Amino acid sequence: MSHRVAILGVGMTKIEGAKKDQKLDDMVFEASSKALADASVTREGIDSVVISGCDELDGRCISSMLLAMPAGAYLKDEIKVTDEGCYGVILAAMRLMTGLFDLSLVISWCKTSEAPVSDVMRMRWDPFYHRGFGMNHITSTALMAGVYKSQYGIPMDIPARVVVKNRKNGARNPNAHLQRPIKLSEVRSSPVVSWPLRALDCAPESDGACALVLASARKARELKRDPVWLAGFGWATDSYYLGGRDLSKLRSLGIAAGMAYGMARIKNPLKEIDIAEISDFSSYHELMVYEGLGFCRPGRAQDLIKEGLTDMEGVLPVNPSGGLLSSNPFTASGLFRVCEAYLQVKGNAENHQVQGVKRALAHGSSGFCAQGNAVFILSR
Amino acid sequence: MNDGMTLRGGWNVEYNYAVGTTGKKFFDALIEKKIIAPKCSKCGLVMLPPRSFCERCFVPAEEWVEVGREGTIQAFTIVPVKFESLPEPPYAIAYVLLDGADTALVNFIRKVDLSDLGAAAKKLSIGKRVRVVFEKRRKGTINDFHYELIETGQARRQRSKK
Repeated sequence: MSHRVAILGVGMTKIEGAKKDQKLDDMVFEASSKALADASVTREGIDSVVISGCDELDGRCISSMLLAMPAGAYLKDEIKVTDEGCYGVILAAMRLMTGLFDLSLVISWCKTSEAPVSDVMRMRWDPFYHRGFGMNHITSTALMAGVYKSQYGIPMDIPARVVVKNRKNGARNPNAHLQRPIKLSEVRSSPVVSWPLRALDCAPESDGACALVLASARKARELKRDPVWLAGFGWATDSYYLGGRDLSKLRSLGIAAGMAYGMARIKNPLKEIDIAEISDFSSYHELMVYEGLGFCRPGRAQDLIKEGLTDMEGVLPVNPSGGLLSSNPFTASGLFRVCEAYLQVKGNAENHQVQGVKRALAHGSSGFCAQGNAVFILSR
Repeated sequence: MNDGMTLRGGWNVEYNYAVGTTGKKFFDALIEKKIIAPKCSKCGLVMLPPRSFCERCFVPAEEWVEVGREGTIQAFTIVPVKFESLPEPPYAIAYVLLDGADTALVNFIRKVDLSDLGAAAKKLSIGKRVRVVFEKRRKGTINDFHYELIETGQARRQRSKK
């Protein structure tokens, strides 16, 4: 990359089931001001603001009109991405790479507790061919889980072990929404919510906001910082029509990862990446993401789980923060992954810190059955 | 702290969605108990739901073909719990690759006993054959038909152009 982009700091609110004491803009302000403080810069120094939110979940049309202000954009540049929060990093990084901007704040949020999430997800489907069939974020991801399970004969214990792993990690993260570790038997006995997914196979719905401060290489040098570098990133989108996709694999993720790995010169991700923070909408989905990211061959993610390779003590710990199965502020979840990856590289992840992290991967995803995927490589 | 006070508000927006000529043609055919699909003039992909262009070749799709009234389950789920604004449980849905089509089409699978989830999931396994059953009264919407299992059919894998 000719124009490198640095990450100078991050800010996250605690992720909770319902943040009843904070109005939406309060929560956004908390995240943006924490990020500015962490980066040791002021709002005055910021010359570009990229925000990402979901109007229907915010219950406001063009919610950026309200939320640009708590994001620090008063009488400044502001631009909005209406996608998964991590796409804000892509837009901000590209704008910094043009040389037109030097210091950027990226922010995303979601207050699922205020929104009819299932209904909004139902409304994501077109009204002619899909909307009447009872598909939301959970029932559609169940379709994909069923295909994957059938294709590779995944025993039920494997996804259950993914849940146990992530919830165990989440218990060490004071910022996580669900902090109680769970047992395999609890996953197995939780009720089916959409075959083959059980309640505990699915990510919860949470409230939270997070932000990052990004800088051009020139600015990072001028500020004499010891930044974390955005060494690579990539993104791709698959078809909207699930019936035209091979639901046993995440093709757009493979493309996104290839792009990010190419930029960061990664050839063997399992060996060259120290930790990964991925978007696990469900336990099955985490397995599929391993394969999309090239950690193993198609159908072999179960081996990584059996051998504990993605545990905290494994060769490539996945979701030391607990992932989405512990905390899921919906459209902001991917940006939280980037923040967590930053903490790991910086060595600031406290109780869930993995030792000696030099290179971390973050993954965000959006759309039905992970239609869109974005991958980020952060390094020293 | 305001000890968790909330203010009740709603959002009820109604839309008049334009169906378009491609959709109209498809829905009119449903009234005649036919399922028709546009075919890409370049790659030959037969697309359901119908689209006016091929998203892969990025050319208009103007040729139409009639597809079969039977097909193969590609993906399914059974929903035993109530979700806000979704149908009353239990219900089963499936993406079915109709014979002659290259992309699968979702609809309800009816007439399967869903009281025992495990047994129902076995019955509805991927690869099972289903038939299209048209409703008696058809209005030119996607609910003019649903799927039902062909009980004697052996499960088989069917590959489409994906």
